Amino acid sequence: MTDSIFALIAEELGRIAADKGEALPPLTADSRFLDGDLPIDSLDLATLLVVLEQRTGQDPFREGFRQFTTVGELAALYTVPA
Amino acid sequence: MTGRRPDWLHPAFRLIEGEDSFVWADLAELPVPAGGVVQADRPSRVLAALAAAEAAGQGVLLARGAADPEGWQPGPGFTVTLESSGTTGTPKRLRHDFARLRGRLRGATEGGARWLLTYDPGAFAGLQVMLTAAAARALLVAVPGGSGGTVAALAQAARRHAVTHVSGTPSFWRAFLMALGDAELPLAAVTLGGEAADQPLLDRLAARFPDARLRHIYASTEAGALFAVADGRAGFPAAWLDDAPDGLALRIVDGVLEVRSPRAASGTADCEGWLSTGDLVERQGDRVLFAGRLDGLVNVGGVKVSAEAVERRLLAVDGVADAMVVAVPSPITGHLLTATIVAAPGLDEATLRAGLRAAAADLPPAARPRALTFADHIPLSAAGKKSRKGPQ
Repeated sequence: MTDSIFALIAEELGRIAADKGEALPPLTADSRFLDGDLPIDSLDLATLLVVLEQRTGQDPFREGFRQFTTVGELAALYTVPA
Repeated sequence: MTGRRPDWLHPAFRLIEGEDSFVWADLAELPVPAGGVVQADRPSRVLAALAAAEAAGQGVLLARGAADPEGWQPGPGFTVTLESSGTTGTPKRLRHDFARLRGRLRGATEGGARWLLTYDPGAFAGLQVMLTAAAARALLVAVPGGSGGTVAALAQAARRHAVTHVSGTPSFWRAFLMALGDAELPLAAVTLGGEAADQPLLDRLAARFPDARLRHIYASTEAGALFAVADGRAGFPAAWLDDAPDGLALRIVDGVLEVRSPRAASGTADCEGWLSTGDLVERQGDRVLFAGRLDGLVNVGGVKVSAEAVERRLLAVDGVADAMVVAVPSPITGHLLTATIVAAPGLDEATLRAGLRAAAADLPPAARPRALTFADHIPLSAAGKKSRKGPQ
């Protein structure tokens, strides 16, 4: 598990939820993005990916879509800077 | 209440709307909307209103809350008026003759199909799904709530009712695949429409639902359903420029796709019957691929939005010295609008963010700029213009 990416996702998801006046439940690697666990919709998820690219300089989807359902699976798509 | 069952509604058609279930007898009990205006937020209301309007021989307006229905006239004869979900300016209304609208439905559904409604019941695409299901011995599964319900609720309903036929935008499908996880779904038909279908998504859907018939449909409000592509490849065959299916003619003029269709709404084409779709296309080998909109609109989760129009709003906010709104590609929603803001001297960011949020608050969610960043200047292209396209 890539802890720093996980923390970054938690921080930015919290911000996106707060902007909508929603509170984020405790996040785990198994939290699923779009099946009702989290108060976010697909536009929020798209926003998260843009922000992650801004903050990490990485776009794991540049070469096409990669399947992910949970927070842990998304975190694993980013490489941690050494 | 409405009497006789209309001939476009099969006696064995059934609708499930959240926890409620309807057959024709239940729909006939629903109140008839006054003045021919129905709030088109539930399929039950829409189907009941269509039946009532047909029985009364007058028009019906499927209102989506975007404009004041005051002063709208039903007019003579059974017509259906749809409101566009436009994000720029006032929504457009287009009146359709019902018989012609039904003529555009693509084929009959085999009996026993279980459809999931992913579109707004007042949208053209939503009406097509409802009428297709209603005409057959089919089940239509709907989730009340904006734009056909949340993807999570739609995925739950899909599993619970084991739907077999799902039609949605590419953005819907990307989110739906995520919400579905590994759940089994007995899909026989997977249909995409409303945005250009990209090859990676078509490949994922073919792999995820190997037994389903995979089609992407090209349609426009003015021209109706134009064609369906069933070979699993993005775009359409270049051979169709010489010989198009379904009585259509297709041509490319200055990079824009033009069509001549027997199913176009009246009064939308030029005197020779050609209608510009406003869609930019590129011929690549044996394929014609879609390459965005002539008017600069981009598709965000199935909603056409204008980066320029949103940028003008942000520029009008107190304390904004400059602003640039760009559409960046998104693996989830196709595109997403993002904004870079230059603040006037001495303004604090929190105040400015509140003002920016307020300026976008009445836009549809898809048109609101996301991931706002602050900068001390806006980079310009070599030609001295804001580089609208964003990073590709």
